[in-house]
Amino acid sequence: MLLPDSRGYFGQFGGKFIPETLSLCLKELQDSYASIKKSKKFNQELDLLLRDYAGRPTPLYKASSLSKELGMNIYIKREDLLHTGAHKINNALGQALLARFMGKKRIVAETGAGQHGVATATVSTLLGINCYIYMGIEDMQRQKANVFRMKILGAKVIPVDSGSKTLKDACSQAFRDWVANVKDTYYLLGSAVGPCPYPQLVRDFQSVIGKEAKRQIIGQHKKMPDYLVACVGGGSNAIGFFHPFFKEKKVRFIGVEAAGFGLSGSSAASLVKGTIGVFQGAKSYVLQNQSGQIKDTHSIAPGLDYPGVGPEHSFYKSIKRAEYKAVSDKQALEGFNLLSKTEGIIPALEPAHAIYYLKKMAKGNKGKTVILCLSGRGDKDLDIVRECKL
Amino acid sequence: MRIEEKFKQLGKEKKKAFIAYYTFGFPEISYTSDICLALQDAGVDIIELGFPFSDPLADGSIIQKASSIALQQKINLNSYLKILKDIQRDIKIPVVFMSYYNPVFKYGIDSFFSKLAKRGVSGSIIVDLPLEESCQYLVCSKKFNINPVFFITPATSPERAKRVAAAAKGFIYYISITGTTGPRSLNFKDIASQIKEIKRITATPVCVGFGIHNRRQVKAISSFSDGVIVGSEIIKFIGQNYKRKNFLKSLKRRVEDLGASSN
Repeated sequence: MLLPDSRGYFGQFGGKFIPETLSLCLKELQDSYASIKKSKKFNQELDLLLRDYAGRPTPLYKASSLSKELGMNIYIKREDLLHTGAHKINNALGQALLARFMGKKRIVAETGAGQHGVATATVSTLLGINCYIYMGIEDMQRQKANVFRMKILGAKVIPVDSGSKTLKDACSQAFRDWVANVKDTYYLLGSAVGPCPYPQLVRDFQSVIGKEAKRQIIGQHKKMPDYLVACVGGGSNAIGFFHPFFKEKKVRFIGVEAAGFGLSGSSAASLVKGTIGVFQGAKSYVLQNQSGQIKDTHSIAPGLDYPGVGPEHSFYKSIKRAEYKAVSDKQALEGFNLLSKTEGIIPALEPAHAIYYLKKMAKGNKGKTVILCLSGRGDKDLDIVRECKL
Repeated sequence: MRIEEKFKQLGKEKKKAFIAYYTFGFPEISYTSDICLALQDAGVDIIELGFPFSDPLADGSIIQKASSIALQQKINLNSYLKILKDIQRDIKIPVVFMSYYNPVFKYGIDSFFSKLAKRGVSGSIIVDLPLEESCQYLVCSKKFNINPVFFITPATSPERAKRVAAAAKGFIYYISITGTTGPRSLNFKDIASQIKEIKRITATPVCVGFGIHNRRQVKAISSFSDGVIVGSEIIKFIGQNYKRKNFLKSLKRRVEDLGASSN
């Protein structure tokens, strides 16, 4: 079965829960995407940019020292080596080309860690489209370097001081901007969340990760891996990584969410701790209180600091295709340290959650083959880590 | 009173509806009953009583702030129903429930609508539940006789407007601008021509909301529609004045001045 269905549902998850004002532009987006997806010209242009501008394919690196340390065969999918430093550029390039095809004069986006903001600012500059990035003021504090990068690239960074002042509020603000400027504006959503068609759109553009990894692991290891491990905030790197392996039933998927201060306290682990709700356009797992108000979240990794998650992950959870785990701030810092010290690769704090989980799963999985999706590099996180006195 | 009776009455009196939006629990829950009564006294025809949501996508900064202030207290849909019970005897005008979908989804739409109906609520507006997602909503609306109010906006295609109008009951909420709630200047000519188009396809009353914040706009828009919805301006006034002496009297006067008494 091809998911999502025509109404944007993955099983019971997904849909299009949006104010009426957005119904026309989402339909327009859906139709434009459907036609452009088949266009040879579009795909050739995207492939060329992914190769020569972003730096694809990214290597699949056999991490020998880490493998030795943990007693597993660990391969790392090096999304951290991409231009702008994370997997976000895959989606940003695809959607920006779509925006240009649709004749939009203005791109808006939300950002948490700033990686999606930087990627969007980058591709907007490349294509000559005006770019406006919404970012929570707490995140602007935490990710100063990325704010500066966006400004250098000519994007306007708009501080968001409502709600928890982080990613979810930046996302709401970007939606409000879109509501007000639907005619000439393209909303370049950065994760596989939101109303139909975004979860599918973002997944498709990120699937290049899994497609490459599949080809590469067969080339290098001669068989399928036992596990795929990736961090999950909204879940775009994970879904792009998992999806091409969906039919490989023996390959187990593990998504690692942020437990923040710990699962009993403030976290961002929507799939592990949340319940089903309707948030920012889709039905999915969400961190909410008993009366359906969305909870404030916390994670050391701004890119995971989000109360919702993509509907396809909720679907994978419900059919038990993937397992979802949570790793705390402290453990993530340990993961950050582990990869830096063993492999000489400084990871972003988001995938550092997944790296810690490798250590945790190693005990029961000696000799197993794992691919880790290293979704981004750690340059942006040096201030946060320094303050934590690693 | 039910919404359709209200419009019938207004029709006889050759008047237009003045609908007041107010955020439940703002600034504090102890004010809610009195504010609803003051709105009725001011001549408001229908109260749209909003249940605040943590992430109100379609709202501008005034209602966003009011919602977050209201939510600092422990409120939920049960406390909303409780207040409705308290005021049920005194409020004679129709009350319309308004919120975003998640609180209702979490509560259970069937159970919540059965309770709303008992409290005499005759209509509902759920901002992020467009027609495509409204299957269960429409079933419950019918079952409990609560009119589902739907939106038509400047971005709604004529073909879609037909389907929306066919599903809507009570009134159709025409959104004056593409944007969020909050005071702004409005182009009457554009709105008038849109309303004319909608009136051509439906007999359901069409009321206009978003941006309306002064008497001049109320009068102008009422002249070519079936009524207006005023929200942010009232919320702003409440926020600025609730601590003052004679607050309820001044609120009544302000809402009268906006045109509630003379519409």
